[in-house]
Parts: sequence; C-alpha cells; structure tokens
Amino acid sequence: MKKLITLEINSELHEVAVDPAESLLQILRDKLGLIGAKRGCDSGGCGCCTVHVDDKAVYSCMVFAHSLQDRKVTTIEGIAQGGDLDPLQTAFIEEGAVQCGYCTCGVIMTAKEFLATEQKPDEEQIRHAIAGNLCRCTGYHKIVEAIKVASDSR
Amino acid sequence: MSLTSVTEYFTPDGNEEALELLKKYGDSALIVAGGSFVHGLEARDLLTGIEALIDIQSLGLNQVTADSAGLSVGAMVTFTELQQVKEIRDSAALGALRDALNCPPLQIRNVATVGGNIASACPYFDLPTAFMALGGVVKVQGAGGSREIELQEFFAGLFQNTLEAGEFVTSLFLPLLPDRSCSAFIKLETNANDLAIVNVAVRVTLDESGSCQEVCVVVGGGVAETPVRAAASENLLQGEKISDELLKRAGEAVQSDLQPMSDHRASAEYRSAVAKTLTERALQKAVARL
Repeated sequence: MKKLITLEINSELHEVAVDPAESLLQILRDKLGLIGAKRGCDSGGCGCCTVHVDDKAVYSCMVFAHSLQDRKVTTIEGIAQGGDLDPLQTAFIEEGAVQCGYCTCGVIMTAKEFLATEQKPDEEQIRHAIAGNLCRCTGYHKIVEAIKVASDSR
Repeated sequence: MSLTSVTEYFTPDGNEEALELLKKYGDSALIVAGGSFVHGLEARDLLTGIEALIDIQSLGLNQVTADSAGLSVGAMVTFTELQQVKEIRDSAALGALRDALNCPPLQIRNVATVGGNIASACPYFDLPTAFMALGGVVKVQGAGGSREIELQEFFAGLFQNTLEAGEFVTSLFLPLLPDRSCSAFIKLETNANDLAIVNVAVRVTLDESGSCQEVCVVVGGGVAETPVRAAASENLLQGEKISDELLKRAGEAVQSDLQPMSDHRASAEYRSAVAKTLTERALQKAVARL
C-alpha cells in the first residue's frame, strides 16, 4: 500500500506517495525528476547513486524511501550555493576529473561529506574515502587531484 | 530493490507493536534496521514471500552504553556511530572492532547497523568475526521476554540464525576484557567494496612476562558457513610465551581447524593458505598494540 511521507529534499519540503519497498533512488529519479544520482548497479556496489541523508553519504539505491519521514536529503542538485558551484564541483571541472560523468555526482557527494570531517586529508585518506565509488574511465588520479584541490582551496 | 511481494512497510513506535506485527505476519515479515543488506538477501532468493517490512528505527535501539561489565550496543547503532564511541577508539582490547569497522565504504558505514549485520548471519561479513573474537553476546526480544545468546550459538549456518519465530535482535553486549588484552582484525578482499575472501580476528591477554593467559582466534569471511573458532591455533598459544616463531606456528595450526568453501571469490585451497598468513599477521598486529 502506498503511504505519504514528508521529507526535505535540497531545502524544499516534499510530500511523496511511496510504495512499501521503493528506494530513495527510485523516488528521486522517477518521481521527482532529480536525475543527478545515477542508477548503476542498484545494489550498493558502485556509488553512482550516492546522496546525503542528514548530511551523511548513503547509497540511495539501498535506503528505503519509507524510512525517511522528516529526514533531510541533499543531492548533487542541491549543493551549489545561489549561483556559485560547490568548490568540489569547480575543482572537478578545472582539474578535468570528469570523463563520461556517470560516476561524478556520486563521487562528489561522497567527497563532500569526507571534506566536512577532514580538514587536510592526504592522498591515501582521499583514496580510502572514495573506496565505495567506482569509476571506469579516469583511473581515479584526476578525481583524487580534484578533491585535494577543493580541500586546499578552503 | 524490487521485492515485488512486499505490500506493507511498518515503522512501529515500541517493542510491543513490533512484536505484534511479527506475530501477525510470521514468516512473511522481515525486520529492517539500516536496510543495506536487504538487496543482498533478495539477490540470494532469501526473501521470497516477504509481505511486510518492519522498520525498527523508532524503538530506541540506537544507544551505546558502557559500564563496569562492558559495552552494550543497540541494534540500530550504525557502523559510523560505533566508530565514534570513545571506548572503541582508545582501546587495545577492542582494536579488532576498530579494524573491522574501517573496512566497509563510507556509504555503508553510515547506514549499516550492528543488529542487521548480526541478524543477517552472512558468512562473508567482517564485523561478526570481530564480535565473536571479542566474546559478543546477542540480546533478543520475543513475545515471552528477552534472552541472551552467545554469538557462536547465534550463527547457525549460511544466512541462518537461531532466532525463534517472533523474536528479533535488540542489542549486542561486548564484555569488558581483562587488563593487558589486545585484539586485531585483518581482511582479504578483491577490491575495497567487496565481501571478504578470508577474514581473521584475534584476541589475546598477556601476563607481565608476556605469556598468553587468554586467547581467541576466529576465522570468517567464507572459510565456513559461519565464522569459526580455531581451537588448534588457540591451544598452541594458551599459556605460552609470545614469540615470532610461536605466532608463525599458530598461523600454520589454523589450517587444521578449517574446511574452507570454494566459490567464485576463491578456492578452498587459496582460502586455507591465506588464513594461515592472515592469522599470523593479525596476532602480530594485536600484540603490537600492547
């Protein structure tokens, strides 16, 4: 049976009719048109669907939408401040850390929580932090560089 | 997640309500904590016929309490929350838990819970191996009251636990370990986000002269249908003075305790060879913490 849940997504309140086993990823992409989070493996292995719930990075494919009553969700669409991109978004563009782009939104959301907790991470810490995000194009080098640049620019 | 047979999602406000739902739906109910392994269970055809998901986030099971007896960890406590517990961050005795918690990626640590991790009885998980080495006891709630089950008894086989109908996991208790205790955990995996090929957790208590007073060696991650105690290895260490040579022999002894599985991740022979090396290294890592 569908139930209505209320949650905050990118600073806006949404009321969504949710099927019992529906994932957060399904409601973001299929009901709300927020397609920044990508459907990759749909089983918590690739990281393309990473968003924040209460400022913590999660695989949105494995979170039940029903469990999110009154919670706060942030997606890649919600991290720019006014007209300014998030420093991570800017660094990914300037360092050329995007190739096909499928993993990018997920990696940025993971890195965003990581940088909120680590002030001066080294390369090893960055690589450990993004271990739950797969990228098949870049070989990770430029992604790690971009996260370092975003960190150092603070 | 498809879970096509699911028709209801409940978020009960108290134990009573949760127990009533469990009674009403019986075998067609699934208790959900973080939910991060529901897909894993579904992919293994273990959730056919599930109609009701019972989310236990509102039962007040998200507390960690420490007293003179030990640490009690609520079923809904996430890996991330556990990593922040002072008693775990600072302790040589709980080093194995710290090591195991650091393995899953951030997105899993933020969602996966202690209760879900244990109740799944997945032989490839990391935390159960560490919890078993630390003497963990599971507390479960049923309609008739609560009871405690040692982890070793709780794991009954591949994705099987000894919960009875109508019961669910409410917390895990980790007893306070004697002074001069230390522990460590090591995992071998194919990539950072994969289930283990082999994992090992060890705990030892040494006396002033460096002799081994208490020891527990547990091997998991697919060496058997549940994590297993390695008795031959433990017997070799018990009462003996720790040396590099002894730790090496304790690693070799572990092979006689195991009959590993062969699957797409690794052959039985490979798992056995790796278990030997990881046991020796885990013992060295643990002792170095004292």
